Amino acid sequence: MRNVIRFIWFDLKPELRPPVWIIMEWTVFLVQVGVYGVIISQLVTGINDYRRFFAVGLVIMITFDMASHTGRHFVEHAHEGRLPYLLSLPISRSKLFLAIALQGATELALMLALPLTVTLLIIGNLSLISVIACILTLFWLGFGIAGLMLGLSFIAFKSSDLYTAIVTGLSTIIIRFSTVLYPFIFLPAQYASAAAFSPLTYGSDLVRFILGFDPAVLLNPVYAVCVLAALSASTLGLGVFLIQRLVEGVKSA
Amino acid sequence: MSELRVILALARNDFSYFFRTKWLMAVLLSLHLSDMLVVALVYERMMTFDYFTYFVPAVIIMGLFAASMDTGRRIWLALREGVIQYELSLPVSTLGLVIAYLLAGGSAALVYSGSLMAIALIVLPTNAIWSLLILLPFLFVLAMGLAGIAATLAAIASTHGEFFFAFQNVVQVALLVLSTVYYPVEVIQNYLPSFLITVIRANPLSLAAEALRQYAFAGISIEPSHLLSLLLASVPFTMVGAVAYLSALRKFQVDGKL
Repeated sequence: MRNVIRFIWFDLKPELRPPVWIIMEWTVFLVQVGVYGVIISQLVTGINDYRRFFAVGLVIMITFDMASHTGRHFVEHAHEGRLPYLLSLPISRSKLFLAIALQGATELALMLALPLTVTLLIIGNLSLISVIACILTLFWLGFGIAGLMLGLSFIAFKSSDLYTAIVTGLSTIIIRFSTVLYPFIFLPAQYASAAAFSPLTYGSDLVRFILGFDPAVLLNPVYAVCVLAALSASTLGLGVFLIQRLVEGVKSA
Repeated sequence: MSELRVILALARNDFSYFFRTKWLMAVLLSLHLSDMLVVALVYERMMTFDYFTYFVPAVIIMGLFAASMDTGRRIWLALREGVIQYELSLPVSTLGLVIAYLLAGGSAALVYSGSLMAIALIVLPTNAIWSLLILLPFLFVLAMGLAGIAATLAAIASTHGEFFFAFQNVVQVALLVLSTVYYPVEVIQNYLPSFLITVIRANPLSLAAEALRQYAFAGISIEPSHLLSLLLASVPFTMVGAVAYLSALRKFQVDGKL
């Protein structure tokens, strides 16, 4: 376990000295919720107190960004030759992958610490169980998204540039065509069918259901649980399969 | 005359680099097109206010802003990768180099936002095409001003990438949130103190978004005082950016590093 912790700290250290990205993410979150969220919720009349809905949406977006960052970095490290170096270290494959997964989870926890606390305070009146269930769902969603980015890794081995372009473009589309920023019932029919394929639709509606939002504006939580389970299992399975084929003895850039 | 040719060649090179960066084009286009064709449309269904007509012109300004701010990333890359050393060895003055980057930033932003404008004209038809054409030079000056802000951030951050991207992110969010890009000033007045309302009204992004909404899309005749305000709000940023980047390059020439 000491090796795993040492490995996590080795990669986290540069990001925490100084923690520029964390402070920046927190500042942006506070400005968006405190100014944009408050003002835009005066214009939104379709749902009650849009700021609460929006704050949860921002938390989902941070989760998505961090998870895709973890998945993308893994692929980029493989492509740039850093992963073959890590594979040559006297540490088992399982420990190495556990360390990478735990590092992603630690980064996500650090990024979410303040935004999630503020969001829970804005919503208020929550039980300990719903808070814990919300945190677990966010990590579960993050796990699935990281797997999705790993699943797309085969493109990186054709062209790293193309991979970055597809993944970054896809990220924006996945967020916009989902219920992260608006409830499903307000989506026009042609957009709603696209949103039904976005994992964030199910992740965000499940988190909102747990936090006590009106179920009338959310998707059925049973579907959300099924989709998230299928996403995590399929994308991570695909990722592991591709990594085994591509990373072991991989050609680097 | 020969220096002018070198400046234009440098500007053209930087201009084409912007459009050749695939991931950047993917991010910008997916972001702005989805804002225009998805977010604006869905928000309108959640409001009693005609948000689509309000927000579509604003997306053009957001595109102009994002493309201008990328000038800072290219300057930071040139400093980090040592390209600047090569550029300083060219037969061009340091001021000429600064002008080339600002010209490229302004032109790239104008061309990029022009493509968004073309799409906006399809989804939100207007009869005031001439007003739109009259606004273009003013938008170019604004883009140069925004490129100036980006150049200042790149000069301050020097080769520390994490600082540059963090500064850029915070400035982007602050300038957009404290503007009338997302919401009308009548709504903001109820929530923010009066000094911030003055800042929001004077924000060049607010001025540009209002100019597009009123003159290009609503078809109201252009008020010269509004265009003058846009110029007065943009030019200082260009000057500050030019001075900051020039000072950074002079320091680089003397010390060999930043």
